[in-house]
Amino acid sequence: MSKRTEIDVGKFKPAIVYTIYIAATPEQVWKALTTAEFSRNYFSGFAIEANLKVGGAFIARAPDGSEHISGEVIECDPPRKLTVTWNVNWPALVEKLGPTLVTYEIEPAGDVVKLTMLQSHDRDISDDILSGGRAGWLAILSSLKSLLETGHALAIKMAPPERMLAALKEMGIGTP
Amino acid sequence: MDEVFKALADASRRSLLDRLHAKNGQTLNELCDGLAMTRQAVTKHLGILEAANLVGTLKHGREKLHYINPVPIHQIGERWIRKFERGKLAALSELKRQLEKRDE
Repeated sequence: MSKRTEIDVGKFKPAIVYTIYIAATPEQVWKALTTAEFSRNYFSGFAIEANLKVGGAFIARAPDGSEHISGEVIECDPPRKLTVTWNVNWPALVEKLGPTLVTYEIEPAGDVVKLTMLQSHDRDISDDILSGGRAGWLAILSSLKSLLETGHALAIKMAPPERMLAALKEMGIGTP
Repeated sequence: MDEVFKALADASRRSLLDRLHAKNGQTLNELCDGLAMTRQAVTKHLGILEAANLVGTLKHGREKLHYINPVPIHQIGERWIRKFERGKLAALSELKRQLEKRDE
């Protein structure tokens, strides 16, 4: 994992932009986004392991211990902005689709916090492939909100993203 | 949540959401293109959609892009629909879609 990718953030265009209001402090939202203790609850058991400095590792570890996402911190301004490469470890995925950037922006909005999640790419990505992220982020963000506001994450039953998996398979990308 | 229902209770605003659903991240000019609405009307409707958090904007280079934000609609679904077993609803929607397709 020593291979560093040069990322020019300006070349990336957001494909998915989701905003959610959460009754919490920016610090709580930041902590929830960057620590395994929280992420395991709202992100289907995945542990976020983030070395929070530019160039630091950003990993989402699956419940079976494998690295599902092996990324790197690109921008880090706690508790306001975090940009990471969100590269899913499926064979040939990054080669075929290019890197994926995920940015979280946290802004105070009165007594609550406005959290914006941007998923960006340096090329056009088909709707079929984006469909996985579109559904997944809705579940993740809603569950995160519920966890911070009520102490309980939502147990959202997710069907496998068949449309995305079929599109990836067609491109020769290895899927589970 | 009142704002979401009010924003959705207008066919012009729903058509703007349809356009963003078909192609996300459009400028005001792109959104106006081919619409019977004036630019001022589109701007006004986008403002209402933005206030309801159904549309978000961001600067990309010199352009201001509009993105559909389905989070509030998802929250409505979580609140009122989830307990009615989404699986069966999805099956019914699919049945409706298939049957109506055959009529075309």
